[in-house]
Amino acid sequence: MFAYYFKLGLRNLRRNPALTALMVLILAVGVAASVSTLAILHVMSGDPIPSKSERLFVPFVDNGQPEDGAANEEPEDMQLSYQDAMNLLRQHPAERATAMFGTGMPVEPPRKDIPAFQAYGLAPTRDFFAMFEVPFLHGQPWTAEDEARGANVVVLNRTVAEKLYGDADPVGQRLTMKGEPFTVVGVLGDWNPMPRYYKLIGSGPATGEEFMIPLATAVRKELTPYGSVNCSQTRDPGYASLLASECTWVQAWFETRSASERADLQSFLDNYASEQRKLGRLKRNAPNRLFDVMEWMEQRKVVGNDTRLSAWLAFGFLVLCLVNTVGLLLAKFSARASEVGIRRALGASRREIFQQFLVETGVIGLAGGLLGLLLAFGALALIGMQSRSMAAMARMDWEMLGMTFVISVCAALVAGLLPTWRACQVTPAIQLKSQ
Amino acid sequence: MEIRPILSALLRNKTGPILVAMQVALSLAILANALHIVSERRDVAARPSGLLDEASTFYFSVRNLSQDTPEQMLATIKRELEVLRAVPGVVSAAQVSQMPMSQSGGTTSVAADFRQQRESGYASTYFTGDSMVKTLGLKLVEGRDFLPHEIPEVNERTNAEVPKLVILTKPLADKLWPGAPAVGKTMYFGTGDGASGAQVVGVVESLMSAHAELGDTGVSSLIMPARQYGQGGAMYALRSEPGQRERVMQEAEQALRKASATPLILRTKTVEEDRKDRYRADTALSWMLVTVSVLLLLITCSGIVGMASLWVNQRRKQIGVRRALGARKLDILRYFIVENVMITSAGVAGGVLLGVGLNALLVSRLEMTRLPLSYLLAGAIVFWAIGILSAYGPAWRAASISPALATRST
Repeated sequence: MFAYYFKLGLRNLRRNPALTALMVLILAVGVAASVSTLAILHVMSGDPIPSKSERLFVPFVDNGQPEDGAANEEPEDMQLSYQDAMNLLRQHPAERATAMFGTGMPVEPPRKDIPAFQAYGLAPTRDFFAMFEVPFLHGQPWTAEDEARGANVVVLNRTVAEKLYGDADPVGQRLTMKGEPFTVVGVLGDWNPMPRYYKLIGSGPATGEEFMIPLATAVRKELTPYGSVNCSQTRDPGYASLLASECTWVQAWFETRSASERADLQSFLDNYASEQRKLGRLKRNAPNRLFDVMEWMEQRKVVGNDTRLSAWLAFGFLVLCLVNTVGLLLAKFSARASEVGIRRALGASRREIFQQFLVETGVIGLAGGLLGLLLAFGALALIGMQSRSMAAMARMDWEMLGMTFVISVCAALVAGLLPTWRACQVTPAIQLKSQ
Repeated sequence: MEIRPILSALLRNKTGPILVAMQVALSLAILANALHIVSERRDVAARPSGLLDEASTFYFSVRNLSQDTPEQMLATIKRELEVLRAVPGVVSAAQVSQMPMSQSGGTTSVAADFRQQRESGYASTYFTGDSMVKTLGLKLVEGRDFLPHEIPEVNERTNAEVPKLVILTKPLADKLWPGAPAVGKTMYFGTGDGASGAQVVGVVESLMSAHAELGDTGVSSLIMPARQYGQGGAMYALRSEPGQRERVMQEAEQALRKASATPLILRTKTVEEDRKDRYRADTALSWMLVTVSVLLLLITCSGIVGMASLWVNQRRKQIGVRRALGARKLDILRYFIVENVMITSAGVAGGVLLGVGLNALLVSRLEMTRLPLSYLLAGAIVFWAIGILSAYGPAWRAASISPALATRST
């Protein structure tokens, strides 16, 4: 009977075109609004690295001044000082660790027709690539010796490599950066984790960093950290004093073998902090924190209040569309009272009438979902026009596609419950009499 | 005015009226909150930057690729400024360290007295090697601008000296010394015995901070005199004659490139672009809220019209009977309008309560601000008007039903 009801439902869509069109349109608009905001929320709060997100941790030790605020107040800036980052990298018990900061360098392309430009990049340590599973198109990360020497090696991202070298493999080529020749050792493949969870504070360009050089090299060349540098005390000028100061500008990550090693990592951090306190540092005595990937994204408020507001608003709008649809469905079904009366008189039970009209409602839901999907694509395109980082977030994946139809059909079914129940209550005798 | 018969008729057939009242309530609640947020965001995005002519102000970030000594870099900066000032149409040019609303810049804590426990607040730190007040067209309300001999040349790599003079914005001056003139007083960078101080020489009416934060910090800025050099580049702010910005931008860029022996990396940005970028997210949210509000109104309207039409159809015979018994067209019209007003009023009452509840939820979970009652009142009036207008069409059609219908049997 289901297939028959389905066909009936499709045919009845044409019955009252104006009313049906209005119903489908209103449902579609409500579904589009909800799905587009939900899609953005989904991208922003999704797990960017599900295979490892419980094993990657951001450490934080508070090296602020005691008078900067109460000890349990979380500071704005949760980066590490250079000293702390280097100490943690040297002494850690985890399987892998990395520290990084963002920076920029002028690039003089080998081809004369491309003018010099300022490139934005990252200065991580070697383990970064393995920890975050960064794909390589050509070449590979720099070697441990390169890192130890602070050698002039660079990994380019795909866009920059194509801009400078076209489709050729640039590994081994020399590139002049900040006046010195750098050897290209690798080119990254397409890597666009959304959001760029590895560096949430002072984030780089939305399309990803253009180059990566070893942290030791960046420090040797005294490159200015881009992003956020937070100094709670005055310091002497010069790069050496920046490295020795309590200014925070470095972000670090640990990777453990399993999530259960978190407690060990925490006690390592606590021991490190108490050693440092004996040396007179870390006067704030604040708790030392570890955040895994999802906790870190939550702490940095990746899903901002505005996104949540949009999602709530969209759902309120969907509820309004639902209530409207209930009214319209009531109107539509009440016009079919005589048809119901005849069916009932011929022997159909109340349940079968209920099924028939519910399936019809489902068909309306499907139609609404189809139109709603188109509208949602449009809405996402409009939202993406906002900024480049928004455009990267405003995408629909297969999950959201399926979700559109689920929302639409469920919404229609919920809206259709009352009118369908009303339709079943029709007394056959009265309907037959009025003919 | 037959309120009791209308009421009892409504109560007998509750579903339709309840649906309409629910739609009105939901729409009112969402609309009031949405429009309140829109108005707030627009106010934030419209905050004045303090510049005289935003549309004519722009800036260059210049990086030199040659390997110069710091003294050569200083000479380059002075030479580049001369080149810029020679471009026709340039009203004024100055070396600056950051620009308002550019989302890139430094902030420091400030205090009126270094013995304080906590700082008085935070301010955005601008350094200028020339007259930023003149170039950006800031309005001095107290004191004066820096004199040329008061501006030291500071090698950023070696010199840690904090300038001894400062110009504040009025909101910052009022916060540090409320009610008293600020000129001549000493302001401290932070608290504690090691905090250095600077003397206030002037106060400008307003200058937005580099990050344009919400609240006090966004309007608290300080300008300090220093010609900074040594990092291989500089930032120059320029103001052109009104209407000539594009031409002056191009000519100034060409002039700079020509005057440089080695290739330059030059980035141009206008203050208008900075403002747009800074408030892009707020503007987008505002547009989304406005779109949703318009759709809300349309949907509620269509809901009311639909319901009213449905009832008119259902009660054709009853209307025909009434007309046959002597009711005028006006009586029928009045009946339906009053009925609709009653339903809408119930919806509005529900909407006001729901709106307050929704706002409380937004305040507690999403850090929004409280909704002033005027929005709910205005929304209530709007929906009453919509209710009456939407019901008018179906009501008029009802009134036009001929009495002859009463005598027909089908």
